[in-house]
Amino acid sequence: MENAAGRRTTRKEEMSWCMLEETFHSCCQLLLQQSEQLKDGWSWESVQDSQEGFLRKTALRSLVINSSPVWDQVGSISDSRSHTSCHSWLNQPQQEKEQSLPVASNDADSITVDIVDDDDEDDGVCMVSEDSSQVLKYEYHILYSCSYSTPVLYFRAFTLEGRSLSLEEVWSSIHPNFRLRLQDSPLHTISQQEHPLLGQPFFMLHPCRTEEFMRPVMQAAQDQHRPVNYVLTWLSVVAPLVGLDVPLKYFIQLHPEVLIRNTEPN
Amino acid sequence: MCRRLAASGVFRRFSGDSRGMTASTVAGLLSSEPTAKPRQELRSLTRRELVAVLPAARRCLPLDLLGGARSLCATGSGSNMADDKDVLRDVWFGRIPTCFTLNQDEATEREAEPYYLLLPRVSYLTLVTDKVKKHFLKVIKADDVEEMWFEYEGTPLKWHYPIGVLFDLHATNTVLPWSITVHFKTFPDGDLLHCQSNSVIEAHFMSSIKEADALKHKSQVVNDMQKKDHKQLWMGLQNDKFDQFWAMNRKLMEYPTEEGGFRYIPFRIYQTMSDRPFIQKLFRPVSPEGNVHTLGNLLKEMYPSAIPNDGEPKRFQVVIHGIEPLLETPLQWLSEHLSHPDNFLHICVIPVPTD
Repeated sequence: MENAAGRRTTRKEEMSWCMLEETFHSCCQLLLQQSEQLKDGWSWESVQDSQEGFLRKTALRSLVINSSPVWDQVGSISDSRSHTSCHSWLNQPQQEKEQSLPVASNDADSITVDIVDDDDEDDGVCMVSEDSSQVLKYEYHILYSCSYSTPVLYFRAFTLEGRSLSLEEVWSSIHPNFRLRLQDSPLHTISQQEHPLLGQPFFMLHPCRTEEFMRPVMQAAQDQHRPVNYVLTWLSVVAPLVGLDVPLKYFIQLHPEVLIRNTEPN
Repeated sequence: MCRRLAASGVFRRFSGDSRGMTASTVAGLLSSEPTAKPRQELRSLTRRELVAVLPAARRCLPLDLLGGARSLCATGSGSNMADDKDVLRDVWFGRIPTCFTLNQDEATEREAEPYYLLLPRVSYLTLVTDKVKKHFLKVIKADDVEEMWFEYEGTPLKWHYPIGVLFDLHATNTVLPWSITVHFKTFPDGDLLHCQSNSVIEAHFMSSIKEADALKHKSQVVNDMQKKDHKQLWMGLQNDKFDQFWAMNRKLMEYPTEEGGFRYIPFRIYQTMSDRPFIQKLFRPVSPEGNVHTLGNLLKEMYPSAIPNDGEPKRFQVVIHGIEPLLETPLQWLSEHLSHPDNFLHICVIPVPTD
């Protein structure tokens, strides 16, 4: 099977993995075929009068959402797949930050995040009852960024009544571990942006670091002569950040022989 | 009307800052009679002031009035360096006289007077309207105040677009001052991004600069800059400091001489005829054969209906910073001189007015 990955530039100064737009399209088509088989819910939306388009999926999540500007929360969060009841959040009152948006602050010292084990759930104080968990509708779009030659993830979330979630609420629904890593720079994180094809407000995971984390993966795949779906691989990295589930079956189905080969320890 | 204003030298009195003006001042200015020697007054206006005059006048301005490009178009050789620097200043100091009126449905304790302001074309609404907010907060009950937002003739105005782009897109062929309605309730979160602090604007601005450099230099120049350099770009915009900004921005405008230009041109083409907010794709300033790409080449590739075929009447205006540059203008020159501070060339395609 032909390598569905990007093309490697051959400039001596740098080897970078840039994905051409046509490669993005073929990767998306492959993903769609598999999604169909797995009933994973992805669809292709095309833009009127053009070949451009994007992948789209909606999913329901059951979460406790904290809408206050206090975003340095502690709590435990299990895999969203298996969780249908409440997550317990230990809500410690902290003084409000001057700028409530998490993207603004670089002050790591003021963040206290303790990860509470699942075992401690009984011992810990659950300040939020099961009743206040809400079912939220998330909508995910995968677009191609020609500026960065990578896929980009856009998403938005609504309550079932149709109220859209704010950045603070979305931020609070991200696992504290991921939040810490995302906070180091405003540009390597989630922010509200205008959807480039629809013109509506969405949240976006900034693409400028994508090439950085994809490079070793693509390099290894090429060295091992292993076909890789760039979009699917990229998705498996970013999806957990936003509570999007990417079933393992996507990868098992494609290369069963590769999976066996790679179970040896390094 | 604007030519008459220009002739009267009225706009010369504006220093270009964003201080508010009373209604009577503006009314007085708009009704002033030309002076005894109008022709002399017109000649003595600087290019900067001509650009600042906007609608009617600038609709007719060929780019050569701003200097530089005409010689470039005709001969294909380098333009006059001094003229080019003037163009950068003209672009930076462009202003739009605006009248802010409070939405009628908002409850007030006493009647709300409109607030007049000269808006910088290259800045952002939420960055320059603190005084507007203060003015109207005096007459609104604190309980009724949510995030401020702006609307023009029913259309919510996207604060994350440069002010000049919003004007050219929505109000370009209308009478000055630009009339914007101010709201403090029912924020349209299906249309507008939230903007609760200046750091949101800064993040957006820096994100655009980064993206532009990804296109121009594969991010090499912007990544080589230090954090304080990035800060200087933002502070230059925020505080309207041309020299401070360009001291750093000039690095983003450089390119290896053997390449003939940037890798790709950062541009966005806006229009209001369809739902799609803008067109942004990869486009090189120079073809593989070495031909210099023009504005006309770009439009033919990205928005062919903007350019009439031979014999057809002109249906659209292609507007950048309130003027219609000649289609023969090299794209690389436009990118270096008519980009916004965010390093993008924002191009508006608007229907030709029918009246």
